[in-house]
Amino acid sequence: MANSEKRCVITGMGMINAIGNTVEESWNNCINGVSGIKEVKSIDTSECYAHLGAESAEHFDVDGGEDAERMDRVSLLCVKAAREALADSKIEINDSNADRVGVIIGSCVGGAISIQKFFTDMEKDPASTDALDIIKMPIGAIANNIAKIAGAKGVVTNVGNACAASTISIEYACDLIRAGVGDAFIVGGADSFSALAFGGFTALHALDTDPCSPYNKSKGITLGEGAAVLIVESYEHAMARGAKIYCDVLGNGISSDAHHITAPRDDSEGQMNAMKWALKHSNLDPKSIDYINGHATGTVKNDTTEMQAMQNIFGDNDNTAVSSTKSMVGHCLGAAGSVEAIYTVKALTTGVVPPTIGYSEEDLAVLPEKAGKLDMMPNVKKQKNIDIAMTNNFAFGGCNASVIFSKNEKEIAPQENNKVYVTGFGLVSPVGNSVDAFIEAVKSGKTQAQDGNLIANVGSDDYAEHGIKLAFYRKLDKLSQIQVVSGRSCLKNAGVEVTTDNETDIGMIIGTADGPATDIINFHEGLIKNGLHAGSAFVFPNTVYNAAGGYLSINSGVKGVNVTLTNGMQAGLQSVCYAYNVVRDGDEKMMMACGMDENTDIMQLLYEKLGYISKDADTTPYNKSGKSFVLGEGATSVMLESKASADARGAKKYAEVAGYAMTHESVSVGTLAGSDIALDKAIKAACQNAAISIDEIDAVVGFGNGNEIVDNIEINSYNRIFNGKKPVFSVKEVVGEARAAAATLQAMEAALMLSGELGDKLEAFEFDGTKAVKKTVDVSGYKYILVTSFATGGSYTAVVLKKCN
Amino acid sequence: MDAKQTEIAEKIKGILVDNLRIPAEELDYEVELFGDGIGLDSIDSLEIIAGIDQEFGVQMTGVARENFFNIAALSKYVMEHLED
Repeated sequence: MANSEKRCVITGMGMINAIGNTVEESWNNCINGVSGIKEVKSIDTSECYAHLGAESAEHFDVDGGEDAERMDRVSLLCVKAAREALADSKIEINDSNADRVGVIIGSCVGGAISIQKFFTDMEKDPASTDALDIIKMPIGAIANNIAKIAGAKGVVTNVGNACAASTISIEYACDLIRAGVGDAFIVGGADSFSALAFGGFTALHALDTDPCSPYNKSKGITLGEGAAVLIVESYEHAMARGAKIYCDVLGNGISSDAHHITAPRDDSEGQMNAMKWALKHSNLDPKSIDYINGHATGTVKNDTTEMQAMQNIFGDNDNTAVSSTKSMVGHCLGAAGSVEAIYTVKALTTGVVPPTIGYSEEDLAVLPEKAGKLDMMPNVKKQKNIDIAMTNNFAFGGCNASVIFSKNEKEIAPQENNKVYVTGFGLVSPVGNSVDAFIEAVKSGKTQAQDGNLIANVGSDDYAEHGIKLAFYRKLDKLSQIQVVSGRSCLKNAGVEVTTDNETDIGMIIGTADGPATDIINFHEGLIKNGLHAGSAFVFPNTVYNAAGGYLSINSGVKGVNVTLTNGMQAGLQSVCYAYNVVRDGDEKMMMACGMDENTDIMQLLYEKLGYISKDADTTPYNKSGKSFVLGEGATSVMLESKASADARGAKKYAEVAGYAMTHESVSVGTLAGSDIALDKAIKAACQNAAISIDEIDAVVGFGNGNEIVDNIEINSYNRIFNGKKPVFSVKEVVGEARAAAATLQAMEAALMLSGELGDKLEAFEFDGTKAVKKTVDVSGYKYILVTSFATGGSYTAVVLKKCN
Repeated sequence: MDAKQTEIAEKIKGILVDNLRIPAEELDYEVELFGDGIGLDSIDSLEIIAGIDQEFGVQMTGVARENFFNIAALSKYVMEHLED
């Protein structure tokens, strides 16, 4: 149960960006208006129309630990900031508390430098490519690297919501602390200066040729680079260890625009919703906000709509100071939220408001008319007593996030404690794009893969069914296409019509292992072939991990919480946990918990290079045939809904979400062996969270995929954990290793089984020692089903679903 | 439309199909590209401008909207501004 009285506090901070390698250095430069914007050094911009950037130090002192060679620059930047934050907090992570310490890191472009390197090598000579670069590519690697250097063993995940990613990381950590899931979290964000971002914003003509001038000249963005990490802790945990406390984290708001993949709404509704919800969640009036660190990218669209949003909410009081620290550090993308959160906390704790630099005399002359009562802090810092401050970030996909910090203890609005039910499904899979097609495939047994691959397809029938027009779907990469169809099917299957009355009551959490890797790589290949100046404006918006969620929001009209999580396969089960939290706490009435991953030529190239794709037609989960598996794909959406909402509209309840756990045992990214204990812990903790004994679990929907290491970890864990044999069901027999899509599908299969949709008799695996044997079992009496999933690097999630009475 | 303009129009159609994922069967030279027709938007126009620059070396940044109306209009503009 969530406990809104539980205080969340900041106890440590670390940062590296263009104006400093530490928080103190960066903050001192920030309040003194020192700009980090210079000619770009790390990439050749000679053919581009803009040449400025705010890069961090090329070489910085960082101890990446034993896995430093396995880290992209983005992880090294993040390790640098994390080590400072950990040292600053003086937290000791050891056997007694590691299970209660998590890591949540936001990023926009992740390992873009490694992607660029791999495909540049590929262009020269395919034999020269390094498989290690593939391991470094996904955003998912970052939090795993941080968990390993810190020794954290709790919830480990990454937020892929582009420029709002690290704001959301702070918010989610507080939600988890209040939910009792952890005591301390290492949160924040990181992004390196990349050809991906520079080429992308060049293609969109969104870069300023001069240093960016947010809220002022608004001629475009200057890209930045950096990492910022905060330690968010429960007050009790901080007090018990005598920690220094910077401030409290109060409420937060996350909203979707349902408007456009890159542009904000003209009416600022989504931005205002995030700010209003954060105020409401914090029990605060607008006039109590003493300082806002704005998103303030410097584009005319952002600045105009953001000013409008702030004027509408804060414009009738003369208390609110606003500034843009991006005027000094540029737009650090996925790190922007946490960089700006640290500046906000520093403003709060030191009583100094940082300036927005770049105002000329002429600019200052016209500022009063633009600013109204808002104090826009042109050029110079100001002393001000700040009790409460807000930071806002907005992202591609139309995602908006606000979070509020307070110098003093303040009780946030009470949270609900709703029962949460599964009330609908949406599916795009290699066995078809309907629940019925999946049920039929499960009943009829294993499907036949082609060359080690299973492919899902969406086409004109799917678009026609949901009225999705060509002008819309042609923009989408395959990942977005399958997720949009899956999400729309889920809404339809659940009997939910999105209207102006319920549009903000519905949201989504999407998990993905590999994100939109195909369009990210397509975009890079364009840059490599045609030059940094000639990137595709059409493809670039699809390169953010939350593009699919953005498109689903645009197409369905859903305007609530919209977060994309990424940490391997189990991200598709972490989405269930997050969505459950949101509904249980009463922040939304309905949340789609989704998992998506694609199997394209490019994905096959990467997985082949890693040696994972099976050429053996008999490869199947739990047969432990070696390293390889059948690569699948798909998008699965499961509607989670509060009891009150489901009852009010007479929705069919397939199962109840009874409890969950997320655990971690660090092994190197890209590996899994040695992390076994974390699966045992996840199962035990999920049962505890569901308030049942392990013996009450009737069956498991497992994650085995045919890879010997993966299968063995699962088989051995169940042999240790359960008294006697438990039936284990596998969706990967049907859809292949569809990664996050499979993880969510496992939850869907469990719910279908508990509701009787899959019939009474089903084939399941039973583990006889280390051998898996197929048996027909009677599922009709099942009351509790456990669903498990994993990620390389050593993360596991377990969810318990319960039969509805 | 003469043979030269037709050749240009075909290449532009290819850009729209390859770069903007518009099914070829949805495109003829007259169909309206923006607004109620194919439904292109400002990001698509950047892609068309980049594609035409790359293919023909013709700059269309800031060019009046009517030149983007359909493939016929685009090909006419390109033909008139091709450097011989």
